[in-house]
Amino acid sequence: MSSRWKFGKPDRAASPIDPVSKRFSDQLIAVLPRLRRFAAGLTRSASEADDLVQAACERALAREHQFQEGTRFDSWMFRIVQTIWIDQLRARETRKEGGEIAEERLGSDEPVRRVEARLALSEVRQAVSQLPPDQRVTLMLVTVEGLSYKQAADVTGVPVGTVMSRLARARIALQQLLEAGAGGPRSVSNAEA
Amino acid sequence: MQKHSDEALVAYLDGELGDAERAHVEAWLDADPSVRDRLLALAESATTLRGAFADCLTEPVPERLIAAARGETVTAVEAEIVEFRPPARRADLASPPSRGWYIQLATAAGLFGLVVGGGVGYVGNTMLAPAQIPAGQQLQTASLNNWLDNAAGDYKLMTSAGDTLVDVPASGDNGDVIQKVSQNLPQPVRLPNLQPWGLTFKGARLVVLEGRPAAQLVYTTDNKAIGPLALIIGSTKQADIAPTFERRQDLNLLYWRHQGRASVLVGQSELGYLWGIANDIAWQLDAI
Repeated sequence: MSSRWKFGKPDRAASPIDPVSKRFSDQLIAVLPRLRRFAAGLTRSASEADDLVQAACERALAREHQFQEGTRFDSWMFRIVQTIWIDQLRARETRKEGGEIAEERLGSDEPVRRVEARLALSEVRQAVSQLPPDQRVTLMLVTVEGLSYKQAADVTGVPVGTVMSRLARARIALQQLLEAGAGGPRSVSNAEA
Repeated sequence: MQKHSDEALVAYLDGELGDAERAHVEAWLDADPSVRDRLLALAESATTLRGAFADCLTEPVPERLIAAARGETVTAVEAEIVEFRPPARRADLASPPSRGWYIQLATAAGLFGLVVGGGVGYVGNTMLAPAQIPAGQQLQTASLNNWLDNAAGDYKLMTSAGDTLVDVPASGDNGDVIQKVSQNLPQPVRLPNLQPWGLTFKGARLVVLEGRPAAQLVYTTDNKAIGPLALIIGSTKQADIAPTFERRQDLNLLYWRHQGRASVLVGQSELGYLWGIANDIAWQLDAI
């Protein structure tokens, strides 16, 4: 499968975030695959993950001046992604569009989802999606993205001890879900303390 | 107590315990086989988890995200290139290629020249092409596949053979290197400086791109997330094409044509890096 990219000329005059420093953009592009991976662990579909990353890019460019040189750029971006995602979750709750409902709305007759459901790896993703948001973020940051507990604590704005407990709960729950099959118990979502 | 135990085990796996705590957990593991089983299960689930998201790092980054990162507006929607292969080649692809396919392919291209090979390819593709695809598109796509296959083959050959395959090795005066290579090309080539990416120019080879002689510029780095990389620059009479991503086995390729120059960047680097480097090259060559 191949994709063709075709860029239009940037409308520099109309852009509110102009001028974008090339170095900053290069850093952002370099970290895009990891941001997509992180977002994929938080959301329920690839398109939703990309929407999240795109929103994070736009926010990062708008707040470029807030990034402190010498600090980790990836951690800064993870924090932005997480913040936007939490905001989106809260907005959905307000609109009574919880994750369970959104998943059901995708429907069992959605061909792509049916195919994906047969793949073992998608079952893992499904298991991750059943974890409470805080655990999901921590799990993705530490276990998938390889951040230390201290770095994950900085990203999520909680003490290291909280990272430790969230991560342990997430890892145990994930293991149970995988053993039970990804479509297994739904009660894990309510396990967050 | 169980909760504390789980935290300790997970932190032990993550290398987050101090010496005393680590010794405590290890004593616990020594004393209780069930804890060892538990630790193993936790380790396996972590590996499974990482595997489930591994593809995210190698799949193409959507155009809109690249544009968003640059603060640009995308004016065209993402378009799929029509995938076309002559039936005979499709049959070949159905079975796993032999380990040396790329070497054979690149060697054949080097020996016989794709000026002839390209022409044969055009005729063959026309004869074998499915009727429902417009002939012009068939030719264009088949030709594109040919030279991207060659670019991938050249890269594999280069990484397999190492420095021995470089026709003109890098020297103190790389201007001289490029001049030597350019003598055999329809138009002179310039050497992009990729030092800011940690890439060092190692030398150049003469290869064939779109049926014409081209320069393969080889860059290496200790950073395996980026290199080694091959940049192939040649001349073309075909229409300009925007930067486009393709994959060949484990290789990522970005290619574009601009004002009579065709360029292909090949490597195993993460796509984000590849895009950034391609953009840098294009800027230096004024190619995009």
